Amino acid sequence: MLVLAEAPQLLIALEQSALGAAIRQSVWAYPVANVGHIVALTLFAGSVAIMDLQLLGAFAATPPAAIVRPARIMAMLGLGLMALTGFMLFAAEASHVAMNRVFQVKAGLITLGILNALLIAGPALSALGATGANMVVPARARAAAALSLAIWISVTACGRLIAYL
Amino acid sequence: MHKTLGLMALLVATPAAVLAHHGWGSYDASRTITVQGPIQSSSYGNPHATITVKAAEKVWTVTLAPVSRMQARGASAELVAVGKTVKAEGYASKAEPNEMRAERITVDGKTVEMR
Repeated sequence: MLVLAEAPQLLIALEQSALGAAIRQSVWAYPVANVGHIVALTLFAGSVAIMDLQLLGAFAATPPAAIVRPARIMAMLGLGLMALTGFMLFAAEASHVAMNRVFQVKAGLITLGILNALLIAGPALSALGATGANMVVPARARAAAALSLAIWISVTACGRLIAYL
Repeated sequence: MHKTLGLMALLVATPAAVLAHHGWGSYDASRTITVQGPIQSSSYGNPHATITVKAAEKVWTVTLAPVSRMQARGASAELVAVGKTVKAEGYASKAEPNEMRAERITVDGKTVEMR
């Protein structure tokens, strides 16, 4: 296995592990993880976009609670599946991917996106869901929703561009 | 007739190209091979640049990286031009007997990572 020597030891070990080797050598593991990652992304990004748009004033005719709960469950499912398949894709070539600049930007953006959801957009959405329609969404929460959309679109673009830089 | 043959060749070649782009399964990553020799032909295009290399025992088709990555890492079209001597380390295809995926190449004393 030709690892990238300047990568952290832990990631070189991950790439050289039995798991990493199994993912590389199996005919189906890598393509299945690849397809699964994209399917999970559509689930996640779609449901997150619905929640963000709701904070920005869309779907005003629908009671917020009717959207918030299912969208949240869908987003969690998508995120879990993305983490699992993403780890598989990462393990196969950990030393190379970790040192890829686009991947580093993507990892930073994911951290930012999750923090934004946990600290600002999520709580604002819970408030909207509990309060019912016609609630005025605070400017801070609207900004967080717009930021969330921008972050996840950028994460998607970075994910695709890892292979090209 | 030629058109039909060309179309058939394209249909047969496409899945291999798609696998080459996205897969690990189609290469034997358990064994590293080294192919060394003069470059006989060079295609500097997407999704991967490819070269053919005349090694001692046979002519290998060597799959390199996408053009943007090649450029970002200093592997210009001139570096992998016909006539240059290249050393390619990587994995042999399980499907194509003469194809290998390069993990790194060395030309003119310069080593470039392909992944």
